[in-house]
Amino acid sequence: MSGAWLLPRVYALAVLAFLVLPLLLCVLFSFTTGNSAAFPIPSLGLGWYGRLAESPQFRAAAWTTAQITLGCGTAATAIGLATALGLERLSRRAAVLILLTLCLPLMAPPLVLGLSLLTFFNFIGLKLGVTATVLAHLLFTLPIVTSVLYARLSTMDKAALEAARDLGASPGRAFVTVTLPVIGPSLIGCMLIAMALSLDDFVIAFFTTGSNTLSTLIWGMMRTTLNPGINAVGSCIIAISVVITAVAFKFTRYRG
Amino acid sequence: MGDGFGSRAFRFSSRHVVTVLLLAPAAAVFFGLFVASLSFFFVQSFWKATTFRVVPDFRPFNYVDVIAGYGGPLLRTLSMGLIVASVTTMTAFFFAYVVRFSLGRFGPAALLVALTTLFGGYLVKIYAWRTILGADGIINSALLNLGLIDAPLPFLLFNLGAVVVTLTYYLLPLAILPLYGALSDIDETELAAARDMGAGALRTILDIVLPQARPALMASFALCFLLAAGDYVTPAMVGSPGNAMFGNFIQSQFGLRMNTPSGAAMSFTLIAACMIVLAAVGSGLRRWLQPR
Repeated sequence: MSGAWLLPRVYALAVLAFLVLPLLLCVLFSFTTGNSAAFPIPSLGLGWYGRLAESPQFRAAAWTTAQITLGCGTAATAIGLATALGLERLSRRAAVLILLTLCLPLMAPPLVLGLSLLTFFNFIGLKLGVTATVLAHLLFTLPIVTSVLYARLSTMDKAALEAARDLGASPGRAFVTVTLPVIGPSLIGCMLIAMALSLDDFVIAFFTTGSNTLSTLIWGMMRTTLNPGINAVGSCIIAISVVITAVAFKFTRYRG
Repeated sequence: MGDGFGSRAFRFSSRHVVTVLLLAPAAAVFFGLFVASLSFFFVQSFWKATTFRVVPDFRPFNYVDVIAGYGGPLLRTLSMGLIVASVTTMTAFFFAYVVRFSLGRFGPAALLVALTTLFGGYLVKIYAWRTILGADGIINSALLNLGLIDAPLPFLLFNLGAVVVTLTYYLLPLAILPLYGALSDIDETELAAARDMGAGALRTILDIVLPQARPALMASFALCFLLAAGDYVTPAMVGSPGNAMFGNFIQSQFGLRMNTPSGAAMSFTLIAACMIVLAAVGSGLRRWLQPR
């Protein structure tokens, strides 16, 4: 009996350790005062972060990434909301069919997606840069945002909405005063998920960006030198993603 | 035709106009970016690459060249994808199973911890494994300092094993997500009934849990397989230079050579090959996981 109790716990702990430890080590080595990400760590300090903060390349990349991430989060949430509201007006069958179609870009390998977008943008004459990357990131953020918002809208209690309409509220007013407060947390959650997905991407950004983003900056550093500076950039990305993800799951009340 | 019919028809159509307007931006993104760029890429896969530019042509032989020139790497890539997808899906399934049925009130916390690693940054994760497995990496430097080895173990990095570990690490949280969703929909009374009638844990999983979770199993497997088989950064960073994956060959068509037709033909060959493998896996799962 104790084996049946112990085994699942050991397994779960092992999987969690496998998932978490590498990221923790990455963060730990970002605080080293040594010149390599290895044991023994001479002492802990913020030296590598100081060097980053002074680096013009890092600042430029962080600014580009901020524009892409925020742009993608806003655009995906706005378009996703419109799409979810539109799907709500269709039959459930049609809505699910459209949702599955919208999810097709998630099944294309990022390399193929990135290369075909690069070729296409060159063909139509769209300059590579923040706009191009935001458009490219919409392909894989929009289906996820739309799915979450549609699920939220279709489980929402419609009685309050009907009551507002019966009392003479215009569709727009009913939406702002009834629907929006109910789905508000999901909207924030979706925006954060879209931002985390955009931040996570390297391959598509690599082919569509005009200047360095944080991930293409890491790529360049990984190809030239291996030093704890990469750990410091990486730790920034990890910290932002973990906070974004935790808050997003709280807002969308993720239950699986 | 009375006024009533006319006004109803008008309301009917104005309702449709609003629906169409709401769906228009998503349609623009889907058709204007996804369908348009992939179609253009597909058309280019039949074009001809000359020294300086790409010229329109109709050359189905581009695909023959791909199979003839890169058949070996393609098979190697598909096998690697199958290994990664199988290992990841199984690990994720048992983790989701344990979280759902065994951990009790610690389940949600374990799930949350697993899912916060969902977006650690794709490159950061690859880099993390490079620092763990490298010659001056964490494992080697720890073993050296403990005096267990005299020289760094060279076989940890730059091989297929490192690629599989790194990709599994990256894909595991993605695979857990749909599997946990499917398992949380399973009725616990059904499992209790099976146990009461004398079915062991393995029997219950095989006959009740797995068949009900089959769509999610397939979704996780497909996601892991497609992302692993299409990946080129992991093999380039932790894999063996002599055993490059198909994605590395695709990417190399776009460096100095800028051979878009060849790269496009390789891309669609890869997608077609992946679809064939996934169709086979899907029909296998349907056959083996029948509810009993």
